[in-house]
Amino acid sequence: MDVNHNSEVGDFLLKEIVKCRACRFCVDVCPTYQVTEWSESMSPYGRLQIIKYMLNGILDEDDPLIYSLYSCLQCGRCDRVCKAKGQDLNISDLIRQGKNYLSHGLLKGRRNEKV
Amino acid sequence: MDINISKLRKDLARIVGEDYVSTDRPTSVVYAKDTMPWDVEEKNMPYAVVRPSNSSEISRLLKYANEKLIPVHIHGSGTSLVGLARPKTKGIVMDTARMKGIKVYPERGYFEVGPGMHVAQVKKELAKYNALLPVFPGSELVATIGGAIAVNTSAHGVDAALGKPGDFILGFEVVLPTGEILQTGTESTRRPAGIDPTKYFIGSEGLLGVLTKIRMRLIPMPYFEQVVAYYKRTEDILSTVIDMYKNGIYPPLFFEFLDERAAKIGFEAVGLQEPQGAVSMMRLHSWSKEGSRQRAKEFLEFLKDNNPIETKIVGNEEEWGKIWQSRAEAGNYMYRLGMTFGSEISPRVDKLIEAFHDAQSIVKNLDSYKNAEFISFGHIGAPTIHAYAFIPTKDVANEVKKAITLEMREKTEDLNIKYGGCGGEWGLTAQRVSFLKKKYGESLYELLVTMKKAFDPNDILNRGNLQGWM
Repeated sequence: MDVNHNSEVGDFLLKEIVKCRACRFCVDVCPTYQVTEWSESMSPYGRLQIIKYMLNGILDEDDPLIYSLYSCLQCGRCDRVCKAKGQDLNISDLIRQGKNYLSHGLLKGRRNEKV
Repeated sequence: MDINISKLRKDLARIVGEDYVSTDRPTSVVYAKDTMPWDVEEKNMPYAVVRPSNSSEISRLLKYANEKLIPVHIHGSGTSLVGLARPKTKGIVMDTARMKGIKVYPERGYFEVGPGMHVAQVKKELAKYNALLPVFPGSELVATIGGAIAVNTSAHGVDAALGKPGDFILGFEVVLPTGEILQTGTESTRRPAGIDPTKYFIGSEGLLGVLTKIRMRLIPMPYFEQVVAYYKRTEDILSTVIDMYKNGIYPPLFFEFLDERAAKIGFEAVGLQEPQGAVSMMRLHSWSKEGSRQRAKEFLEFLKDNNPIETKIVGNEEEWGKIWQSRAEAGNYMYRLGMTFGSEISPRVDKLIEAFHDAQSIVKNLDSYKNAEFISFGHIGAPTIHAYAFIPTKDVANEVKKAITLEMREKTEDLNIKYGGCGGEWGLTAQRVSFLKKKYGESLYELLVTMKKAFDPNDILNRGNLQGWM
């Protein structure tokens, strides 16, 4: 049984990410957002949107997407901001789960097999 | 429009540098999404996102966009609550995030700042000079100063107490949609009399040019005293505001309210005991400590005329922090519990109570969603009522979200027209062109279109915002 890929995880991720209000309070505190000189696709908010739009089929896998998800440092700064100012989402864990879940397609030998 | 993305990327990279151009779809989605509750559509997704660092690069970008006839959408932090931040047509998104420099000149009485600096960062820098920034959005940690000036919003501040930020702008560096770089205004603290092109760009919502440097007068930091008042009914708070203006009492800089339901949510969120009804909280300012104390004492006496359960000056900073935070948290926690569809209602002051009751009726009788709950709070001293339709679930289809947003917008716009107001915090284009036409007529709208055309003949900047997109 493939424990890393079941639709329950996808449903859970969509249900959680829909709670995001796109307030972008988490964007500025993200180290990768800062180090890339403020690219929002390299921020917690951006990663959540990418996971959501990949799950609902708007986005397909491609290199920048993978780069964005795999570059999350799991430092948890976004979690603290979201708890204090946002919707109390465990953003870093959602990114971790989303990355694992969506990596399934790569491991099956799709376009980005190299990853 | 047929666009060769690979060529576009190369052309844009020549202007801003390879590292600051993105043409991948994931980045497009991220910049297309805003606070509007429904999903991004293909038409919102830009071909490219660029992050220029100075006015010269922006000038070259806009000349290029004019040559190729590609729309350019300006992006601050994307925190607009009325759709200003969502690109309406495919094009290039121009993010101002790299333009964050600030220089404070106390000897000249002003500071200059780049548009991409966050409001809270500007405040932090000005605090070193004991100066106040007259911009008070709830999103100040992320909202950009460029966005705030482009909308000319004092946000939570009471305009009658200090003014709008545009009242303190001395001049701009601005890039016209056709690429020319202009300097406007003055380096004196004396603002120009008569025609002052600076004013054209204050509150122009990115339709007439890109603000690349903002020169603003330093305002000495006032002293503040804090007051909280508890009421059985929201109507007593509204009567207080009506009396304040009628009796010529100078308004507090901040005069917020939570209705009965919002007060419960907000107070619970910050761990305070549930209040018996509605709550209002005020911050009164003066440029002497004694002056602010005196104002607070006098205001406390005035408040007693409208049946408060309790009023008090709050000296304890920790206690005040929680009371003040309850206002911000009310909106936040409402959203945690379900979905909210907001509005800004700024009626003529003497019509506040009628407008409030009408807003209740609108929410309770929505066609697009039955049994929505009415919850309100806002900057009542301004006056602004944020009337919300609250629905206790996140599981709502995109079409229904759109329908509720549209119905709330249209019906609260009619309320603003009925009671002589027009909003005053969130901006007037993007979602609200229909309101402009209804309130001011086609002639005024046509004048705005003509003005836009004079500045932007090819309709390059923020295309769609003046066309009534929704």
